[in-house]
Amino acid sequence: MADAPVDALLKGSSGKNTRGLLRTIILFTIAAAAVSSRLFSVIRFESIIHEFDPWFNFRATKYLVENGFHSFWDWFDDRTWHPLGRVTGGTLYPGLMVTSGAIYHFLRFLTLPVDIRNICVLLAPAFSGLTAFAMYLLTNEMSPSPSAGLLAAAFMGIVPGYISRSVAGSYDNEAIAIFLLVFTFFLWIRAVKNGSIMYGALTALSYGYMVSAWGGYVFITNLIPLHIFVLLCMGRYSTRLYISYTTWYALGTLASMQIPFVGFLPIRNSDHMSAFGIFGLLQLVAFAEFIRGYVPTKQFQKLLTSMIIITVAVGFIGLSLLSISGVIAPWSGRFYSLWDTSYAKIHIPIIASVSEHQPTAWPAFFFDLNFLIWLFPAGVYICFRDLKDEHVFVVIYGVLASYFAGVMVRLMLTLTPIVCVAAALALSHIIDTYVTISPKQAQAKSTESSSESLRSSRSPVVGIYSYASKAIVTSSVVIYLLLFVAHCTWVTSNAYSSPSVVLASRLPDGSQFLIDDYREAYYWLRQNTPQNAKIASWWDYGYQIGGMADRPTLVDNNTWNNTHIATVGKAMSSPEEVSYPILRQHDVDYVLVVFGGLLGYSGDDLNKFLWMVRIAEGIWPDEVKERDFFTSRGEYRVDDQATPTMRNSLMYKMSYYNYNSLFQQGQAIDRVRGVRLPAEGPQLSTMEEAFTSENWIIRIYKVKDLDNFDRDHMSAAAFDRGQKRKRASKRRGPRVLRTE
Amino acid sequence: MKPLSFILLSILCIVSSALASPSTDKFEQFQTLSRLAPIDLDDSLYDDLTSKPRDYYAAVVLTATEARFGCILCRELQPEWELIAQSWNKGSKSDELKLLFGTLDFVHGKAIFQKLMLQTAPVLLLFPPTVGPFARVDDTPFRFDFTGPMSADQLYTWINRHLPEGPKPPLVRPVNYVRLVSAITLSMGAVTLFTVLSPYVLPIVRNRNIWAAISLIAVLLFTSGHMFNHIRRVPYVVGDGKGGISYFAGGFQTQFGMETQIVAAIYATLSFATIALAMKVPRMADAKAQQVAVVIWGVVLFGVYSFLLSVFKAKNAGYPFFLPPF
Repeated sequence: MADAPVDALLKGSSGKNTRGLLRTIILFTIAAAAVSSRLFSVIRFESIIHEFDPWFNFRATKYLVENGFHSFWDWFDDRTWHPLGRVTGGTLYPGLMVTSGAIYHFLRFLTLPVDIRNICVLLAPAFSGLTAFAMYLLTNEMSPSPSAGLLAAAFMGIVPGYISRSVAGSYDNEAIAIFLLVFTFFLWIRAVKNGSIMYGALTALSYGYMVSAWGGYVFITNLIPLHIFVLLCMGRYSTRLYISYTTWYALGTLASMQIPFVGFLPIRNSDHMSAFGIFGLLQLVAFAEFIRGYVPTKQFQKLLTSMIIITVAVGFIGLSLLSISGVIAPWSGRFYSLWDTSYAKIHIPIIASVSEHQPTAWPAFFFDLNFLIWLFPAGVYICFRDLKDEHVFVVIYGVLASYFAGVMVRLMLTLTPIVCVAAALALSHIIDTYVTISPKQAQAKSTESSSESLRSSRSPVVGIYSYASKAIVTSSVVIYLLLFVAHCTWVTSNAYSSPSVVLASRLPDGSQFLIDDYREAYYWLRQNTPQNAKIASWWDYGYQIGGMADRPTLVDNNTWNNTHIATVGKAMSSPEEVSYPILRQHDVDYVLVVFGGLLGYSGDDLNKFLWMVRIAEGIWPDEVKERDFFTSRGEYRVDDQATPTMRNSLMYKMSYYNYNSLFQQGQAIDRVRGVRLPAEGPQLSTMEEAFTSENWIIRIYKVKDLDNFDRDHMSAAAFDRGQKRKRASKRRGPRVLRTE
Repeated sequence: MKPLSFILLSILCIVSSALASPSTDKFEQFQTLSRLAPIDLDDSLYDDLTSKPRDYYAAVVLTATEARFGCILCRELQPEWELIAQSWNKGSKSDELKLLFGTLDFVHGKAIFQKLMLQTAPVLLLFPPTVGPFARVDDTPFRFDFTGPMSADQLYTWINRHLPEGPKPPLVRPVNYVRLVSAITLSMGAVTLFTVLSPYVLPIVRNRNIWAAISLIAVLLFTSGHMFNHIRRVPYVVGDGKGGISYFAGGFQTQFGMETQIVAAIYATLSFATIALAMKVPRMADAKAQQVAVVIWGVVLFGVYSFLLSVFKAKNAGYPFFLPPF
């Protein structure tokens, strides 16, 4: 008997230990896989912070580490949003920075001299390992099968939907927030299952941490009350619900109010009202349950009916009065745009302009979730079999999150955890059924064929008879799993591992060619401009300029002040005569534009230009008009058919200034928009070219000082070109003092 | 009887005074034409309204509301435009500030449309006064081109921007009492119906299978990109230029209505096969039938998944993975 020693290991109390050990080893392996699959970018490029927002987080973390927690809390940043500044300490979610600061100091305490940058770069992969573990715990609460948790952890570890926001270097709030999201939900399910005050309090703590880390905490704030509400509607009130919810709500709200950026929102903002309403409802239901024990049934019915009517009426009137009088703020724009999908497009162009706020096409779902996407409905269906309290949670979360993910690409992130749970439930069910060697002959299970249960699970389970069917299903599942791993690796390596600060492309011979224009330009700024030179650029690059070039900016990715952004948009989209005073008034020394025409880099400013126009038009509808940037046939063109407004706009001039000189006469081509440019390039008179990066992606212009002879810049430039001054035309209107 | 006769009398007075002195104030004359709603103009009235010495602002919408012109925008604009005119005419404003609202339909004003060389409708023109305290030197009208459906608020802010500073009547949307009452009646009816029918309805509401079906349909709809169709208003199908239709859009970021339905069907088939393998098959008592079921569902799963991968590969050219049949 060859399997006798194995039997000794797998049976009895030592079997339990072996399984525990195996499980630990598997979990560690999963965590290792999760971390290592996120290191593509570090290996390919270097240990560098990615994208845009992470640069701000990185800068804030450096500030925290250098100046300590208290001055971080009171940080007023005068190097952004010039000349307004930003109360940074009160307008950010500090969880991420504080976490890395704590890790930094802990490692220092252990006398490990680690650079803060490396901590920031590697924070997201490290937390993804923890997320996989939290996922294991959460799924274990859902299913008695031990394989479900491990499968879910493995899925979570490598699924691209999560990797997209947590590769090394992507130092963003989501990096730790997804771990906290999953962990909070695990604690919540525990609390509901056991009716335990301790777990309720732990949920609140974890929720408080989540609030400090990510604005997406509102999702938890609304999902948990919804869970309770649905359970109440199903007639499943119990003291467990009461204890866990009230504990979580009271402590969690207090915890969330400790964050200055959140402050009194939890009691004033409509986003949080559902949690408050359910809190009240739960008290009423508990009270009714209490009364029920003392009052005869008939009178209780009457009492209940009148109580419901009174409560609804009072609640409705009170809520509408409070909303009208303005004590309760209306829904915040981002939240509102989730329900009324055309809202943002009409009212808040700045929200609609962000690419991650666009709706999701189906290939994106498959790209990010692969075969989990079709296991997901099966898993949701399986949840209906037992439909315990925790399964209700999976169903609600699944339906809601898939709606949100459909409306906004970035919310794919909140869908991913529940997809992993549901898919693991479905797949573990299959594996448990088909991957057993011993034939389960007619295991007469308990016949629970009530009308309550699902149609497909009424007859008793008998098991699988033949080895052939087991082999078929097992092998195909193995194929799907292998394909999933291959898919995840491919997606991670191809789509999600580029830092977007450094662009990679392939030369014809297949070798890699790195385009490092961003850093080249930012370091030029750092080396060649005075410490306080103000840089104007579109808001996308604000954080990077602040982080890499260490120069004050006018607007950045925080986008808290729409008017200020619109000012920059107006300066970019107006002719020089209008833009120059604006730039002077804002002390701008340099203007930075991104131009992809030479290289064919499509994410450049001219392609974002219409958003600048739209945002500016929102504030100055008379001076900037989107219509003027389209030709009479409604086309957006940059070649010789371009409208005069387009050709006179500062953005156009700065993008194409001197571009002709690269080509032979009349041969200038814009490779992004694929058009031939007019033979004569634009003239710039109020600024001079200061720097253009190697591949012309970044162009920096210096705003000229006032002319020494008090001429306006046009005539000064004309004089320098040697043109004769034109006679003042006869039709000369009255002299007007230009005020702006 | 008395109030009615009084009103009649006053109307008579107004009409007679208007008839008696046609050369009196043009503004008042136009105001009598329509007390609240915008004035319905025709060619001659339009010329009269916009003729030159004028001491009032005139906002005119040139539109084509008749069904045969197929101008949906015009018909959507009509109630909003009336709302603006009513709010203005009812509200309190300073006596200096005179503003007239008019509507010129294409049916009555072909000549004006030709004169202005208008190719599209609706167009809103705002004529500034040429005399009076707010007179402008440049008397060309401000023109507002409609690019999409506009709410009354947006139009009203545009008009307000061109009017001189000062208090202006707010835009008042009348409470839709009919809708309110009908909503209340309907909800009460629903509550009553529910109470009466509860012995029959409750088993349905409590039926787990129905809720499972609803959840699954919702999940399938959303994950197959239905919201994208809804927000972007994508076409249902598009011809491929050879007389046929192309079911799948070319790019990774685009999709057609029918495409998402096909994808939803694929997902549904795959999920159903999974459910069958996981829940139904182990409950089959007959060994032979079970074997057949496993083979069938296994093949369906494999084939459809392979098809899904091939569709995805077609959308995303660089995708390297596939499964054999497709």
